Amino acid sequence: MSKSDWNSPEAVRRLAKRHAAEKRFKFIGLAAIVLSLGFLALLLVIMLKNGLGGLDWDFLSGSDSTDASTAGVWGAAKGSLLTMLVTLLLSFPMGVLAAIYLEEFAPKKKWIEWVEVSINNLAAVPSIIFGLLGLAVFINTFQMPRSSPLVGGLTLALMTMPVIVISGRNAIKAVPPSIREAAYGIGASKVQTTFHHVLPLALPGILTGTIIGMARALGETAPLLMIGMRAFVVTPPDSLTAPSSVLPMQIFLWSDEIDKAFVQNTSAAIIVLLVFLLAMNGIAIYLRNKFEVRW
Amino acid sequence: MILTGVLLAVFGLGLVGWFAARGRARLLYKGRGSMHSMPGYHGWHLALWIVVPALVAWLVWQAVMPGLVEGTVFASPAAQGLPTDPFQLGAIVAEAHTIAADPSAVAFNPEAQRLVEPFRQAQVKFGLMGAVIVLIVAFAGGAFGFTRIRPDFRARTYVERLVLGVLLAASLLAILTTFGIVASLVFEAGMFFKDVSPIAFLTGTHWSPASTMGDNIDNNFGAVPLFWGTIYIGAIIAMIVAIPLGLMSAIYLTQYATRDVRKWVKPMLEILAGIPTVVYGYFAALTVAPFIRDFAASIGMVNPSTESALAAGLVMGVMIIPFVSSMADDALAAVPRAMSDGSLALGATRSETIKKVLLPAALPGIVAGVMLAISRAIGETMIVVMAAGAAANLSANPFASMTTVTYQIVQMLTGDQEFNSPKTLSAFALGLVLFIVTLILNIVALRVVKRFREAYE
Repeated sequence: MSKSDWNSPEAVRRLAKRHAAEKRFKFIGLAAIVLSLGFLALLLVIMLKNGLGGLDWDFLSGSDSTDASTAGVWGAAKGSLLTMLVTLLLSFPMGVLAAIYLEEFAPKKKWIEWVEVSINNLAAVPSIIFGLLGLAVFINTFQMPRSSPLVGGLTLALMTMPVIVISGRNAIKAVPPSIREAAYGIGASKVQTTFHHVLPLALPGILTGTIIGMARALGETAPLLMIGMRAFVVTPPDSLTAPSSVLPMQIFLWSDEIDKAFVQNTSAAIIVLLVFLLAMNGIAIYLRNKFEVRW
Repeated sequence: MILTGVLLAVFGLGLVGWFAARGRARLLYKGRGSMHSMPGYHGWHLALWIVVPALVAWLVWQAVMPGLVEGTVFASPAAQGLPTDPFQLGAIVAEAHTIAADPSAVAFNPEAQRLVEPFRQAQVKFGLMGAVIVLIVAFAGGAFGFTRIRPDFRARTYVERLVLGVLLAASLLAILTTFGIVASLVFEAGMFFKDVSPIAFLTGTHWSPASTMGDNIDNNFGAVPLFWGTIYIGAIIAMIVAIPLGLMSAIYLTQYATRDVRKWVKPMLEILAGIPTVVYGYFAALTVAPFIRDFAASIGMVNPSTESALAAGLVMGVMIIPFVSSMADDALAAVPRAMSDGSLALGATRSETIKKVLLPAALPGIVAGVMLAISRAIGETMIVVMAAGAAANLSANPFASMTTVTYQIVQMLTGDQEFNSPKTLSAFALGLVLFIVTLILNIVALRVVKRFREAYE
């Protein structure tokens, strides 16, 4: 191709067209991001506009009521707290232990593959299915008290455990083999190596995954709807078996109220929930940045 | 009450045993190589010998004690003249049980009041008996464990074997959960299919479970409108929103954005994924749905409903954006750098490289990501519950109210119906269908992702 071809009007036109296409493409990409984030901003602004006026101490310390002006979120928040406690106490140890086994001790056998497949699938099963499981097993078979933080926590723990196992396995996998070999070299057993050396090094990663899993569980509504955690709670629940509600459920119940005054309550409760979730995610990001070691 | 105290005592004994065994093992230590295990492992070995058998005994006693207590109460003179009807009897016994545990409660039946005293006595008697048994087991286990402390005793091996057992049990919990889901769904759905034929359920087009009386029960449980609504909202409308936006943001972030922009924008996009679905649902119902209804009215629709498939699908699509975006991100990152470098070196512009080289190469990964996104969208509940509506319409009109599988599951199981009616059981049949479909989507997608990664490694 001779040099003059590049300067022919036709070539110049084609080049300009290609460059325009390039710009167009880049602009579409930018527009996609702006549109997505714009939607996020719109959602937050509407919630803040509707809800900020309702946020005061009475709202934060009160419980549910049929009168919008006296209703508050503390009853639901305490239910959430108790539920999350059960979830954490069950899913964290179980998830970490399972991750350790699968990553460090599991023999390469067929049934271990089944465990892995089932964990990966459980992490993607719709949450409402866990609600059906909770209803059929915990309430109908074991006769546990309906709409209690105990059953809610158990159901959410089954849902959260796979998330913790997956992030735990990744964190354990990231610990380099040289650490293990050094421990073996001075005579440590496999269990000692794992619990004294590998686990402490993997812990920040595991904690990050746990917090993210817990944040997901805190915002979850559908499975709790299945096990009837929609009690009208005028006094905060004081035990794990007392009927209670949780924050997202309170939002759902208030959103169903016909009384317009509940719009403010719903939005204010959403702000409270989002603040909790953002705080948890913030802690997770902080932990990751602070303790993550790049080997 | 007594048994709770015993449990604490057992753990206390375990602690004491730990120190005792460790101390004893330390006395046996006569320099390097004189013992097989470190003193701490002897401590754990003894503590486990105290706690584990005692815990087993405690659980067994906990299971048999209520029967023993009731037996004694019925044998006592106060139980004479109780009604023989098992239902009434059960109510009275349950009441006496409550009052025995909580003296402030007031009896409703005079018979129950008579039973309280024998109840309490029997509870104390058997509680003490159980306490003694559990403590004896704890001491016996402890004594046996203590005699085994010798320099050549392999305490560490035994302790580690137990640790491995616990680890194994924890990882089996995942299988157990899967099994529990399948078993409960299949069992309850099986009860449903005893009343309604599976073929009518899967192919019928009329869904009105409220009117289930009569012989033509099959005709009221046709789930096709539900499946259609689910696919229309989750797999069509939501994907029309999520795929272009998610894919284009991933392309922009990986190919064009500077490091700083990427560092800030990516976490912000991820916030979208972290917002609870109930918040999206409220947003859809409060803001998006009225807007769409007004829009429908302005283009000449008659009586548009507030609950529309479009509102639910749009908001669901926004929720899925970060998911599609991060899957596309991974898929694009897995394409070897040399491929796009080659294309750029031949004179292609960036966008040409992306369209002609990167996207085709990353296509399997992107398709798998979209499949996972669909599986997530069709299992989504709160958005459709709050914005999609209850009417089972078989229509392609996005402004019509439509219902989904998840909406109907919620609808069937909330409220006060008796548990074993076909109406409530249909929720489990729907759940089973949902579970199978998402399972297939997930397995296929994960397999495609794995193949795809291997292809470029």
